[in-house]
Amino acid sequence: MRYSPYEWNESINQRNDYIEDKLKEGSPVVALSYDNGILLLTLRRSQRKIYEIYDRLIFSAIGNQSDIESIRTGAIDIAHREGFSRSPDDVSIQRIVGFAVSPSIKKIYADPYAAPVVLRALFAELGKDPETDQYFIVSYDGEFTSNRKWASIGGTNYGESQMLDHLKSTVGSEAPSLAEALKASISAWAIGRMQTDPEAVADDTEAAEDRAQDVKAFITERLEEGWVVEAAVLERSTHRESRYRQLKETDLFEAISASGTA
Amino acid sequence: MALFEPSSLGLFRDLVGEDALPRPKPLIQENRYSGADIDTHATTVIAVKYKDGVINIADRRATAGNTVMYDQAEKVMALDDHTLISISGSFAKSVEVVRYLRHAFKYYERSQLQPMSLDGKLQELSRVIANNVPAALQGIGAFIPIVSTYDVAGDGSRIFFYDVLGGQFESADFGAAGSGSGPIRGVFEYIIRTKGPFKDMERDDALRESLTLLEIAAELDTATGGSAKYLPAAKYIIADGIHDFTPEEIKAGLGRN
Repeated sequence: MRYSPYEWNESINQRNDYIEDKLKEGSPVVALSYDNGILLLTLRRSQRKIYEIYDRLIFSAIGNQSDIESIRTGAIDIAHREGFSRSPDDVSIQRIVGFAVSPSIKKIYADPYAAPVVLRALFAELGKDPETDQYFIVSYDGEFTSNRKWASIGGTNYGESQMLDHLKSTVGSEAPSLAEALKASISAWAIGRMQTDPEAVADDTEAAEDRAQDVKAFITERLEEGWVVEAAVLERSTHRESRYRQLKETDLFEAISASGTA
Repeated sequence: MALFEPSSLGLFRDLVGEDALPRPKPLIQENRYSGADIDTHATTVIAVKYKDGVINIADRRATAGNTVMYDQAEKVMALDDHTLISISGSFAKSVEVVRYLRHAFKYYERSQLQPMSLDGKLQELSRVIANNVPAALQGIGAFIPIVSTYDVAGDGSRIFFYDVLGGQFESADFGAAGSGSGPIRGVFEYIIRTKGPFKDMERDDALRESLTLLEIAAELDTATGGSAKYLPAAKYIIADGIHDFTPEEIKAGLGRN
């Protein structure tokens, strides 16, 4: 079947609308460099969302679970094959995202007869220090952007930029401690989740204190509804074999009580 | 490209292909097998249980025939957060095997979202040893490991040792491998009869006894290095993971201060 330029444009737009509509409800994920590593945090109902890919690579995504699984297992396969046949040092976020993940997604996106990949993914690579940590965000069309210090994925662009603004204003130029990073990322998550749409935000100019109260109330409500905080880190220095560690409830308690129920 | 293809259920050897298994092609095609060749696994590695965990120590000499190649070899290696493998035999082969196993275990855990079971890990190791039999029979690259692990959920510390064919045995109290392990076998028995089993000892006592065993092995076996130049490698596993003994602890165990 042949496409006219108009039909091509129409079909791309329909695909985008379809995907963005599905992504809108996704629970955001916040990623943030702290002094001894990288933290990823989200709140979720049931399905786990933060995964280890390789020694220094961590991954999270919103979207269709089956698409997330395909990208996750694909990235793990490539990383391990590469790390075993060469060296773990040769497994870099640039190579995995730029040469494997992004082109595969782009190929599917560009095929009008294939079901598109419904996903917005975040990859993070642990560096030697917070300045060398890298964040890559891959979108459903295969496009990717890279960040330093922090990154976020959410249902809408507006929500994502709100989260980044919040991180920028709460985290100073120095890398925070883990406890500070947890607090900042929980409230960033709530802001991203509350403000998916600029139209829906009743009063953007409300006083900062009111807004902080809203965030707390919002988190408390979610927790009462049975949402759980999921957080995992890649640790810069550890005596364990794996740098990846899922934080336990006891690790999170302080940050949750400060951000939520207090 | 592996993306969007059915998952391999965490089976690492399927991912990298059987050729990637640490198993060199035999160099000699004739059937000139000699049983004596298999015994050339020059080294001494020792694993003993103690009250709270399990200790692994090893000398640091790597030999090729009568030549000392290297005196800082690291023969006690971590496979995961609660498992140590102590290697006797071909050092090059051992390093390759450990690299393979680490990748295989991590690949399984990361892709399947659950750690591989202890039995699964031991099975993988047995397979690697069994695959190595043709090479071992020809005297190239034989290796025999001891595996020590701390089973957090179940039975605490456990020690497994192997024969050259990949047969696996579990030991209740201690394990030793390498050319120096034969001469000191009786000393293990003597210690257990006079001082009680290792698994009831305090950590310092168990370290001291096992270092003494290693020193005796170094005196009786040319392929086992002594502790004069470089301290032996010594690690222990407890419930919260693997730890190194400090040089001070090792020196104290050797009776030097």
